[in-house]
Amino acid sequence: MDAWLVFLYVLVFPGIFFLLGYSFFAEWFDRKMYAKMQNRVGPPLVQPFADFIKLLSKEDIMPEGVEAKPYNVLPLFAFAAVATSFIYIPTFMSSSPVGFQGDLLLVLYMLTLPTIILFLVGWYSRNTFATIGAYRAVSQLFVYEVPLFIAALGPALWVKSWSVSDIVSWQQGNPWLFLIQPLGFIIAIICLQAKLERIPFDIPEAETEIVGGPLVEYSGRKLALFRIATDMLMVTGASLIAALFLGGPSVGFSLDSLPFWAAGVIGFVAFLLKTLLIVFLLSFIRAAFARLRIDQMTSFGWKWLASLALFQLFLVIGMRMVVQ
Amino acid sequence: MKIPIGPQHPALKEPVGFMVNVEGERIKSLDLDVSYNHRGIEKGVEQRDFNQSLYLIERICGICSHAHATNFSKGIEELMNLEIPKRAAYIRLIVAELERIHSHYLWVGVAGHEIGFDTLFMYTWRDRELVQDLLEIISGNRVNYAINCLGGVRRDLNEKTIKLALDHLKKLGERAVYYTKLATTEETMVDRLSGVGKLPYEKAKSLGSVGPTARGSGVDSDVRRDDPYLAYAEVPFKVITANNCDVLGRTIVRAGELAQSIEMTKWALENLPPGEIKKAPPRSAPPGEVISRCEAPRGELVHYIKSNNTDKAERFGVRTPTMANWPSVVEGLTGQNIADIPIVVAAIDPCLSCTSRTTFVDTDSRKSWVWNWDELRNYSIRWYRENKGIYWGD
Amino acid sequence: MTKPGAAFSELLRSLTKRRATVLYPYEKVDVPSDFRGRIEVRDDLCIGCSKCAIACPADAIEMAAEKGEKKIKYGGKEIPRKKHPEVNLLSCIRCDVCEEVCPTAPKAIYITAKFSGASDKNVILVVPTVP
Repeated sequence: MDAWLVFLYVLVFPGIFFLLGYSFFAEWFDRKMYAKMQNRVGPPLVQPFADFIKLLSKEDIMPEGVEAKPYNVLPLFAFAAVATSFIYIPTFMSSSPVGFQGDLLLVLYMLTLPTIILFLVGWYSRNTFATIGAYRAVSQLFVYEVPLFIAALGPALWVKSWSVSDIVSWQQGNPWLFLIQPLGFIIAIICLQAKLERIPFDIPEAETEIVGGPLVEYSGRKLALFRIATDMLMVTGASLIAALFLGGPSVGFSLDSLPFWAAGVIGFVAFLLKTLLIVFLLSFIRAAFARLRIDQMTSFGWKWLASLALFQLFLVIGMRMVVQ
Repeated sequence: MKIPIGPQHPALKEPVGFMVNVEGERIKSLDLDVSYNHRGIEKGVEQRDFNQSLYLIERICGICSHAHATNFSKGIEELMNLEIPKRAAYIRLIVAELERIHSHYLWVGVAGHEIGFDTLFMYTWRDRELVQDLLEIISGNRVNYAINCLGGVRRDLNEKTIKLALDHLKKLGERAVYYTKLATTEETMVDRLSGVGKLPYEKAKSLGSVGPTARGSGVDSDVRRDDPYLAYAEVPFKVITANNCDVLGRTIVRAGELAQSIEMTKWALENLPPGEIKKAPPRSAPPGEVISRCEAPRGELVHYIKSNNTDKAERFGVRTPTMANWPSVVEGLTGQNIADIPIVVAAIDPCLSCTSRTTFVDTDSRKSWVWNWDELRNYSIRWYRENKGIYWGD
Repeated sequence: MTKPGAAFSELLRSLTKRRATVLYPYEKVDVPSDFRGRIEVRDDLCIGCSKCAIACPADAIEMAAEKGEKKIKYGGKEIPRKKHPEVNLLSCIRCDVCEEVCPTAPKAIYITAKFSGASDKNVILVVPTVP
């Protein structure tokens, strides 16, 4: 593709600007569905954007004795990591123009970075609550990363490629992978909920126990960056699962006969619907359960998530050999 | 590592201070600091006559306000040898049980919020609005009902109100069954509630716990059955106990009490005796002392009133159930995780407005100190021996 | 027997139910007719006996001197009123004891069901008015 088209892809659509706008919309959708399930009204459409603007205008306080450079720079790292990983996921075409073999691993790795940064943030904040939240975040990371990676490995093994774009293109004419690997789909959704640190896995940020968790000392612009990074993480995670298991922008039949822009629009609408469905599932899980304790989460993760993910992996390998 | 929980903390609705000594996630020990909500009500009652202080005493707590008012009027009526009409006793009982219903619904919601289950919070507080509407129709206010007066009650129930109340109670009964089922079968909730805040039977008795906290550990005591007041001797009800000795036991007890209270209110509404609703009290109370106790939603509430032939109380002392239950929190949290602090504190249904303690202050040397149990007991034995010639010691 | 997801059916049903919240102040709320709202005093009935001010538990009523002549019909006679009550709404606890002790019939000081309203002053006085 031309250089300036790639530039446009990365910066405007579906790059940073689209990602920002869509994260606000996804956060509103999540909060609205959560409220409706609790028989309430929920916020208006511009609420996440208004929260963001309000946080940007607040005073930026740095506690005493905190090292300034890491404290100021870490939110930017989190923002950058999530924004970068989104461009590898196809949103309206069947492949991303910057995709390459192995970009699935790159995306998964970049999505791990925000949690590690959360740990560093909690560590550098020099606050008791932040320290507790930091080590809880890392303990939780050890538990859900393995099942998530194994669940994402399933589609890669089936399609025999390490590129997200290839997995999406394969699902263009073939059945979507969540029909072939339903267990992997469910495990990926649960692990995404744990990665986003939402109920029942919001142990690092347990509001009634350790107030704000690792982010307790942050305020103003840095907190706004973290919150938008969390929303973008939700959109990116949902898009990744949609791409791996629900076929991304594909609609089940071939769109080659239509002109490029029409196929693009139909693919984009399909992508939006699928990611919103996954966001709805995440809201549903958030409304339905209580928060777990860290030791209960560890035992749940290793007893159920990891073993079921391994079982799914063996199933995939076995089925692939049979189908061969 | 020492973590301060409170006085300002999202887990606490009112200020109380804990200094928790942790190692990783395990709590090794904790120090308790109460009495941030002291308002001098006991002193205020000494300067107001009985009828005026009734309204002040009602505002000791917002959730168990009617229990305080009933207890005080009951004590004064006993000093004055005044017997209230039967209809008044029934109306006081109806409002008291409605208050228990609203308090237990509130508790289920708050417990859900503390363990992160906000959906339960929203649902229970939505259903609690039915009780609040009822109380608003009966007494004119959603909190601080002001329906008691010395010698009876101030407002009567008419046929329309009774019919509406029975209708609402039926709906509330169905919702109570649903919440009981949810609390005992939802796996994440049971995981958080069972096995935490352990309080064995002997510890519950020796630490002096009262109310659902003690009944959740198998202690079978309820002032409504053991020392009946108002019309509790006539209304049929069961005392709910559980043998779990942890927070799940207290949840089961409160859910059971919710169902029992709904039945009791229905029975009282259907069998309301006719008659007057108040009797004119004498202006002043003869000299005497009385200890009046009742079963507030949180446990046994004790008022001590001393009168001296005037229309004001000479001394007024309150021992609230929350004050008696704090030691069981300290006992229940030692050795548990940090994550259990909010729910164990919420399990005693803390009402910090009802918690106050005595401190000694020496203004000259600017020191303050407290007495422990043995010092207090020795002082009381000494006082009675020197001033009254009675020897209580063993 | 515990299983996860005991709340699932209620959650899905709530998606289709109407909201339980009331969008106050855009939607109004009904209160019962004997709701404890603001106190009002009737200028044509009050005889200035001060019983309400003495009985008030919150000391919210003060008796202010009457300016000029004021005669009220009470018990078949016309008696002069020397002072009238002024109620501080922000101290009033809406207990209605003043209405109980008031000797006139109909009551000169009474409770209404009005509850809404905001002010930026720290004393709001209710003086006797004619309805």
